[in-house]
Amino acid sequence: MADKTLHTAALRIEPAPQERATSDSTGGSTGAKIARRRCKRFAMGLAAPGQLISIFVLVVSLLVALVMSFTLWSPTRGSLFDATFEGLFNYEELLIYDTRFLEAVGRTVAFSVICLSLELVIGLGLALIFLREFKGKSALFSTLLTPMMVMPVVVGYTFWMLFQSNGPINQISMFLFGASPAWFQSAGLAWTAVIVTEVWHWTPLFFLIMLSGLNSIPENPVRAAVILGASSRQIFWRVVLPMLKPIIIVALVIRAIEVLKLFDEVFMLTRGGPSTSTETISLYIYKLAFQDFQLAYGAAAAFLVLIGTLVMVHVLLAPVRDQLLGRNN
Amino acid sequence: MPKKPLTPLLALMLGVALVLTLFPIFWILMTSIKPPTDWNTSPATWVPSDPTLINFRTLFDPEAIGAFGVGGVSESATAAVFGSLLTSITATLIAVCIGFFAAIGLSRYAKINRFTPLMILSGRMFPPAAIAVPFVIIFATVGLIDTYAGLIAIYVAITLPFATWMLKSFVDEVPREVEEAAMVDGRSRMAAHLTVTGPLIKGGLFATTLFIFILNWSEFMFALVLSYTNIETIPVRLSKYVTATAGTLYGVQAALAVLAMAPLIVAGFLIQKHLARGMTFGAVKR
Repeated sequence: MADKTLHTAALRIEPAPQERATSDSTGGSTGAKIARRRCKRFAMGLAAPGQLISIFVLVVSLLVALVMSFTLWSPTRGSLFDATFEGLFNYEELLIYDTRFLEAVGRTVAFSVICLSLELVIGLGLALIFLREFKGKSALFSTLLTPMMVMPVVVGYTFWMLFQSNGPINQISMFLFGASPAWFQSAGLAWTAVIVTEVWHWTPLFFLIMLSGLNSIPENPVRAAVILGASSRQIFWRVVLPMLKPIIIVALVIRAIEVLKLFDEVFMLTRGGPSTSTETISLYIYKLAFQDFQLAYGAAAAFLVLIGTLVMVHVLLAPVRDQLLGRNN
Repeated sequence: MPKKPLTPLLALMLGVALVLTLFPIFWILMTSIKPPTDWNTSPATWVPSDPTLINFRTLFDPEAIGAFGVGGVSESATAAVFGSLLTSITATLIAVCIGFFAAIGLSRYAKINRFTPLMILSGRMFPPAAIAVPFVIIFATVGLIDTYAGLIAIYVAITLPFATWMLKSFVDEVPREVEEAAMVDGRSRMAAHLTVTGPLIKGGLFATTLFIFILNWSEFMFALVLSYTNIETIPVRLSKYVTATAGTLYGVQAALAVLAMAPLIVAGFLIQKHLARGMTFGAVKR
């Protein structure tokens, strides 16, 4: 069990004998050449359907969106082919004048940082508790994972009900603090509701990934630290946490990508309200494109978001790239 | 790590986590069996005194709730349940089939470079609202908008990376030598992959299928923008129940929510061991 996560890549086998024989020398016999070509063609055949679909989805739709983002096209203005290019007009508008967009970006980033930190700390804490011995561990483990299996729309709807002014949360807060706030009427409270929802929904994923990481930490360094007289706090900060770093980064990157796109829960909970105070990037783009039909402008906004996310992910992933690829060379 | 017993404080924390985890689910379950008189009481009713299944019946027969003197549910959810089942199951099977071949290709033949993870992930990074824009335009041109075929095509496309990379991580665990032995015995490459590796990763195929099903079943935004009148899925129906005049029909909404999450929770428990792998594109294994 130990070491498995970080070194599963070691299971990867060397190239097949015939390929190994031919890949070293550039020349080789004619027979080997034909075999190599056939093998290559076979590999391409395997990947073709998947790649065709990915190319269609990513490249074609991105190209359409990119072309569109340089125009002022909208469905009411005739064909997209007739639209005139306006250069970077949309981008300029977004980055300099559109305070609603900039606010949505800032809000989404702040929201992501708050949620991910809470989820990481709670998830890691729970995982650490799960390293101890107690009864009913596996049943409790399964139960704690439940939230992440529920679909986002239902999570949003459920918390919308819980936060109703005559809902159970206000009943409890009335009992404890003598106050029953209207959660969706003020920006701060609406934000709290969205954060609570998101943290409830996705902390289990962090718990799951952290526990899997903790279980795969080799025991010897920890034993050595114990023998050398390290306190459990020192062991955690100096031994366990550094070894957990790759897995923490993977978890953060994967969740960050999803949180930055947050839509379903907010759509069900607040629709961005009151006013636009809980509007996320995705919600704003959705409203631009499908309520105001400013498709071109929405596409430009989406591109800016994509570029930002790409840069962030590339930088964050650098230290753990090899692990994510599952390779050892 | 040395195994220590639980201290009372830690046990308390686990208890709190358990209660917080289960409370929302408990609430939605209770609401789904409340009769109309308990829906919107103040203070809220926690456990209905006379539980009923009327809300679930109303989903498929909008008139049923009339017996309680409540109107306002005009549309049944039958079409939505059918739509969800059709799109999720079809798209899942297609994605897993294509993904299986791509996974073999990647695991056995491909060279992976440092931009590969970025390429895999970039499909997930683009805000779906933005991918939806070009898709609405393309689909409108080719007549795929508001059709199940169109929705299935999108679902295949967006879940394919998950299917491919999750399956690749399972294929990676099967040693090449096993396939090579079959090839030495005279089987073709394809036969070796299908008849040797296929059965060996049976569990992985099962887990991947359920995982992709969870993703498809939960998808909301594409279904929202690509459906007008002909097609519908459960998440779209739920959002309509909440926004329409039916805004206070809590019981019926909750019943649909329960119906929506039940298969997910079952599927989730079945593939619990592999959830981390699926969510992280195979980067975290257990």
